[in-house]
Amino acid sequence: MPHMVSSLDHPNPFILALIGLAAGVLSGLFGVGGGIIMVPAMVMLAGMAQGRASATSLASIVPIAAVGAFVFGRSDSVDLPAAAVLMVGSLIGVQVGAWLMPRIGDDRLRIGFAIFMIGIAVTMLIS
Amino acid sequence: MTLIEILALFGIGLTAGVLAGLLGIGGGVLMVPAMVLITAFDQHVAQGTSLLVIIPAAAFGSFTHHRHGRLALRDAAALAVGGVVGALLGSVTALSLDEDLLRRLFAILLLGIAARMLLTRRRAAEPVDAKPT
Repeated sequence: MPHMVSSLDHPNPFILALIGLAAGVLSGLFGVGGGIIMVPAMVMLAGMAQGRASATSLASIVPIAAVGAFVFGRSDSVDLPAAAVLMVGSLIGVQVGAWLMPRIGDDRLRIGFAIFMIGIAVTMLIS
Repeated sequence: MTLIEILALFGIGLTAGVLAGLLGIGGGVLMVPAMVLITAFDQHVAQGTSLLVIIPAAAFGSFTHHRHGRLALRDAAALAVGGVVGALLGSVTALSLDEDLLRRLFAILLLGIAARMLLTRRRAAEPVDAKPT
């Protein structure tokens, strides 16, 4: 049975706003969604369940990313044609990834990818 | 844009989407370094472009969650109130930073995410739409 979100068990909105503030800074600073810190913070500080925390954070990313994209756009730091091509690719990719996850989503993949990311980070540091 | 660039960006978007779906991490973390290292985008342009790409992806994903009754709109609104203020502060700060410094700071963020991925096991095996308890 899907648990419908009731109005009785909402976490403190002030705590959520502070979590959103931190995620917004991270999002604007690095061009990412901010879910990386929002989801664990919502689970640990606001006592939300993992599934509900990720669904809720995703919705708040829409206005957060829109503000960031607007500020970057004003400084000519958004490549519109590139964004259009990336959107098409990523919308297809997300479907493929969601289909693949129950089939190959295990720890080895995660560890392998984490090591790959360390390689990318080192390349960005020395380039 | 040349045909090569179009193909490269399509491949970056596709790969970032697959990995985001597979690993449960956002596409931006993957797209930004790919745009910088593969298509030689300026760090600022890579980040600004990533933010724009994230919008429809997040909107589409949260609409799906909303239909399944998993989304607490009131909580999302509280997050967004702080979030838009933070996004304004963060993006204005990013634009004021030198490109090399911003790229190195981004690399440190990647190291942090990689460390967390190595330390938290088993999350990837859980379905994305796990029912809240």
